[in-house]
Formats: sequence, structure tokens, C-alpha cells
Amino acid sequence: MTINLPDDKTVNLNKVYDAVVIGSGAAGGMAAHVLTSHGMKVLLLEAGRKVNTTEELKSTEWPYEHPRRGDMPPGNHALSLNEYTIRQPPYAAGIKANHVYSYVQGWGGSDYSKNLVVDEKDHPYTGTNYAWVRSRVLGGKTNIWGRLALRLSDYDFKAASRDGYGVDWPIEYKDIAPYYDKVDLLLGISGVKENLPYLPDSIFQRPTRLNEAEVHLRGSLAKMGRTLTPYRAGVTTEGVKNKYRMRCFGRGACARRAGGCDIHAVFDSPTGLIFPAFDTGNLTIRTNATVSEILVDTNTGKARGVAFVDTATGKSYEAKAKVVVLAASTLESARLMLLSKSRIHPAGMGNSSGQVGHNFCEHVMGPSVLGIYKNKIGAKRTLDDGRPGGFYVPRFRNLSEKHPKFIRAYGFEGGSGTTMFPGDAIGQPGFGASYKKRVRDYAGAFVSMGAFGEVLSRYENYVEIDPEMKDRWGIPVLRFNYKFGDNEKRMCEDMAEMAQEMFEAAGIEIVSVSKQMLTEGWSIHELGTARMGNDKKTSVVNQFQQSHDVKNLFVVDGSSHVSAACQNPTWTIMALAWRSCDYLADEFKKGNL
Amino acid sequence: MRIADCGLRIEEDEEADSQISNPASQIADETGVTRREIIKLTAGAMIVPALPQAKSRRSAKTQSRRPRFFTPAEIALVDELSELIIPADDHSPGARAAKAAEYIDQRLAESPEEEPKRQWREGLKLVDQISNEMSGRSFMQASPEQRVALLERIAQNETNPQKPEEKFFVELKSRVAHAYYTSKIGIHNELEYKGNTYLREFAGEDVSRK
Repeated sequence: MTINLPDDKTVNLNKVYDAVVIGSGAAGGMAAHVLTSHGMKVLLLEAGRKVNTTEELKSTEWPYEHPRRGDMPPGNHALSLNEYTIRQPPYAAGIKANHVYSYVQGWGGSDYSKNLVVDEKDHPYTGTNYAWVRSRVLGGKTNIWGRLALRLSDYDFKAASRDGYGVDWPIEYKDIAPYYDKVDLLLGISGVKENLPYLPDSIFQRPTRLNEAEVHLRGSLAKMGRTLTPYRAGVTTEGVKNKYRMRCFGRGACARRAGGCDIHAVFDSPTGLIFPAFDTGNLTIRTNATVSEILVDTNTGKARGVAFVDTATGKSYEAKAKVVVLAASTLESARLMLLSKSRIHPAGMGNSSGQVGHNFCEHVMGPSVLGIYKNKIGAKRTLDDGRPGGFYVPRFRNLSEKHPKFIRAYGFEGGSGTTMFPGDAIGQPGFGASYKKRVRDYAGAFVSMGAFGEVLSRYENYVEIDPEMKDRWGIPVLRFNYKFGDNEKRMCEDMAEMAQEMFEAAGIEIVSVSKQMLTEGWSIHELGTARMGNDKKTSVVNQFQQSHDVKNLFVVDGSSHVSAACQNPTWTIMALAWRSCDYLADEFKKGNL
Repeated sequence: MRIADCGLRIEEDEEADSQISNPASQIADETGVTRREIIKLTAGAMIVPALPQAKSRRSAKTQSRRPRFFTPAEIALVDELSELIIPADDHSPGARAAKAAEYIDQRLAESPEEEPKRQWREGLKLVDQISNEMSGRSFMQASPEQRVALLERIAQNETNPQKPEEKFFVELKSRVAHAYYTSKIGIHNELEYKGNTYLREFAGEDVSRK
């Protein structure tokens, strides 16, 4: 079921809204959903367009039904790992193609997602190497996210107390647990209960299943005291009460494209949160609205609204609101705070601590293993990829024992079995009948997994406003000062060793082990930059993501995370945003904002 | 309107009994969404064309379109090379039947980049040149054994190609494999791919019941 949203021109900008929400991804969608449910009148501003993903994604189209087998038309260029490594940002500079996209558009099926990601030519940035993947459309990156939906635990929230590095979060698991439950029930999540204290279970719907090789690896890992669990997917497999979404039918297209689901079984912010919020009558949406500054009330020092550029016409406007909720993504929210300088907030709004843009963290990835499960060589073909994901191996480092070389931890994502395109067809040596048979015989036998590890939150890793460069709309861009450190390098060495060890223990024949760290940013899990805390000298927002300096400014996206942990962040972003917006609505009703 | 009318795929593999044999009504039953909506959502996206005949073989002469980038002589050569890399066998047709050469021609013709075009033109010339050195004949005039011998020579450093002809082989094989394994023949006949279909229950083992 689709929805017809009103034209941007019909949005009333003379009205003072109860709240303006900037950004429509996981955080902004949740803010709009929760605030409108409390009866607040909300204006949601999204920098990009509305894209009808129900029609755009064509999840079940076969490659041969597409003129370029799913690839983008000529004139569209996706950046490669090599380009991120040997060149410096802005990466699109000097590239002749009409449009330049981040590396995710180099994957198969890129033609279906080309309207969902930004053109790097319009959105430059400078500084150190960083593979920054951005989506400026209604719903943001939730339209194509990787679906792995994990909880954090007190091993993460209290990590500093455990190992002495950094600072604890100002919340404990019990504070956020009820909100994880609410997110599970509203949006649907698939998985299997494992009773792990360091990876709490969700309220799971029907799980996906493991194939023979994965069941075998699960058994082998169990003997080592490690867990392999079916992919915990932010996908409804039994249905949710939401007329815009259907349950998962295992079509599997999610695994072979940049992502996305044309029946919206996987959570995306438009169908999961924004459309239902719109149906309350309390939500006004304006797309093509790129916010350039948070406006200050010079009498009170509070936020009074935002200035934005209509990206369709280039005209500038103001939107007025009693509360400003930043949800533009970790880096864009920091950029907006830093851009909003005034006499009262000379270092940027909400930045009296000087911490905005700092403590920038994420996940490091790259180390991985590819192997062959011999039982499946030449076996009868099975259906292996009809599911939102393969498996997840939760952290096993620095739980009860202390690793001598690094602190914190990493988990593995993996999968095995037949995929639509046999990944080894290019790499298998030779040609002719024997080559063809080998590709056929091995197509279902491959097993692979790759790690995602915590990058430590460090003050020295930060973004700032570039003094010269501006984006297509004349807004100053971000300059990166961000590098992986020694802890990440040592952790990555262990990832590769452990990947190899686990496959060898399971008798999986190893084809290759990669030790290479991918460029900073590759995980698309950027976090930090406006961290939560109780001390206003060392943090930007309090435990309810409310600015220490400006009480009617909330920052509800990943920028508030105190540490990256090693779990994928989307579910935590939404649980925190829900908790904060309940608090916001309560304070608003009491007249405290 | 009957199910068959909206082009829903009916899975016939006897092993795939967990797959939906009557998808629209099944979906409607389990989600409470009406069948009309399902049909609206899925019709068009799920039409699976009839599979090509396993034994059908096309020669270069029956290439259905005029080449746009290659000359007629070049595309005949690419067609022959592609079939040598992925030949027809007892299991399925090869790259010729999958029209790999035609697809490569189309992609090269529309590419704004000069480098791959240059590499293909020169690579094909090199193939004939080496063939002349090895057997005194152009590639198309050489015997089947001589053609294979030539491919073996240019394929020998596949993992670390140095000479132009070795680099061309890597490019040639990569494009042929991509074209073949994304074709109807490659996906359905050769690999017997079973996914991209509506499932009632996920395939595999449910470890939550252990």
C-alpha cells in the first residue's frame, strides 16, 4: 500500500510547530513517530527527495530482465577501494563521469539504488580518507541498510568501568531495555534466543534458518564456547500491524543488491515510522529541504527554528518551532551544530564543551575468511539465499579474560551456500568444460565471514567545518581528521587469526584469509561527535539526548553514542530516540522546554 | 482472476515442498492483506520467462543483432572465444547460446570509457597475431586444438597477468563469466538457481527448535 504525501509547496512555514525534526532516517523517523503519537505538531524536514521504493527497487527482477543486468547506465561511476586509498577527498574532483557515487554503488544491482544515495559531486568533503556513504531521500540509509539488528548490553554501556578506557554511558541496559522491546514489537525482528549476557535477546519473530554448512560451523564453534546464531534481522517475518508493510517471503533480493525491499518486510523509516505518523494528522513533511543552520533566539539563547535551502529551487526559507530535534546522521548533525554559530553560541550551538565533532567512532572491518565446505561440492542445488541474512558470530573477546593486545571486541557476519551469481566464477582458474563444471560444483560450497570491530572513541578523531569548500547549495562542508589507531590494528590482526582458526577447527577448507583493513568509514556505522554524558564539560547531550546548553535542542541520532561497541547501531539508535522523545514530549507538556 | 493469470511463479521442484504452490492466497492468508493487493504488488515483478531449451545451440551466424562496437569479424571471434571459455556440455548450453558476445558488444558500445574499448580491439588483434605465430593461421581458421592451445597460452598467468594478451584474457573471461552467469541459461539451466521466489517457510534448519 502506498501513500500520497502532499507537495512541498503546501507546507505552512508561517506556523510555529511544536517540534521540527531534521532528517528522516532511523532517528528522525522515530522522533516523528513518537512525538506525533504524543499529540505534538511536528514538521519533518528531509534534505532529499521522496523516492517510491515500492516501485524503484524491483526486488525480484532477474538480471537478464534489465538492459545492463542491474548495473547503472554509462556516465555513473562508483568509487573503488583503490580510489579511496590512493586519492584524497573530495573524491569526485576530476572524475569525468556525470555522477559519482560511494563504493556501495559498485555492488551488483546498483541501478536500483542509484536514486537513493548522494552524488559525491554535489556533496564533497575534505581531509583524511573516509568512505562516507550518504543517502539523502525520505528514509535515508534505512532504505538500503544491512538489516542486522542487535542490542547493546552493560558490557558496552559500562565498558569504561570494565577496562578503564574512555567514559561510561550515562545509561544502563535496564534504562534502554523497555525501549528495545518497543522497537522489536513495533517494527518486527527475526532471530533466535541465545541467552548471552553480552548480546541480549530481542522479542523475536520467526527466525531464518541455517543451511548445512552453517549448522556444522555452529556446532564446531559451540565446542569452543562461541556462538553462531541466525542473522538477527530487522525484518518482520510474521507481520506487524502496519498497512504499508508485508512480512518477509524469503525472496532473498536483500542479499544481492545494495539493499532495500519493495514489500517493506525489512524496516525502513518511511513505511515503518513516517507514513503511520503522517496518518495521525500531526505530521507535516517537507522534502528537498536542506537545513543550513539552527536559528537562535537571541533573547533566550534557545533554538527558535531552522534555516533551510529548497534544493529544487535554490531558495532559502525558515521554519519555526518550539523544539529542534537533530536527526540528520552522526556527521551531518555535528556539521549543523558547528555551522550554527552566534554571539551566544560562538563555537556552534550546543558546543560550549568544545566536544561537538570529537570522539568520532565507528566499526572497523575488512578481515575476513573464505572457505569451502566439502560436503557441498557437487551436491544437488539447494536454496540458500532466500532470507535477509546468513549468520552472526557475537563477540568472544574481553568478556571474562583480558586480551593482551587490545581492548573491546568484534563480531562476525557471514553466510554460505548458493547465491544467484556464483561469486567464484571470476576467480576460478582456467576455461572450458572443466572450468564450467568446477564453477557449478563449487557454487553451493562456499562459506565466508567478515568481522566488525569497535573503533575506540578518541577526542583526536574529529570532524570540523572546512574553512573554504562548500557543497552545491553553498553550505560549508566537513573536513575529516580521522584515523584508525593501534588498538584497531591489533584487533584486526586477531580477527583474521580467529577467522582462520574457527574455519580450521570446523574442517572448512580455507580458500583465502584477508587481513586488510578497509578504508575508514567502510562500515557505514559512524557514531559519536555529540556524545551523551552527565558532565557538561565532556559531553554534548544528557542521557535524554538533550543539549546541555540549549534545553530545547535534542540530538537523537548516532552522534550521541558514547562508544561504538561492536554491534550494528540501528536498533540502538531507534530505542534511544524513542526514550528521549518520550522524555521530550513529557517536558514539553510540562512547559519545561 | 485466477492465480495463473497474474504470472506468479509456480515452483515445480519436488524437493521444494516448503515453497508456496499457491502464493497469492497463501500470502493473503498469513498476513491479512487482500489478494487483490498482493496481485497488484507482485504481478509483473514475478513473471518468469519460459526457460530456454537445454539443447538449443546458436551459431555466430544467427546473432540476432548487428554489432554496435565490434566489427562482424570481431564479434564472430568474441563469440568463438566465449564458447571456448564456457562451452555447451551435457548439463547446459554455453556462452554462445547465452549470447555473451552480444551483451559484451552492447556494454562496450555504450561505455564512455576509451580504455576498455582499446583493450578489446587490440586484444582481439593480438589473438589473431599469436594464432598466426603458433599455427600460421588466423584464430577462426585454426583447428579446434590450435584454438585451445592459444587460449592455454594466454591464460597461463591468470592470477598475475603481465603481457597484454594475458591481461586481455582476464578481461575477456571476466566479461564472459559475468554475461553468462547473469543470463537465463546461466542462472536457470546451468546453475539451477532456486531462489528469487516466494517461500512459505525459510529453507534450511531451524536451530531455535533444538
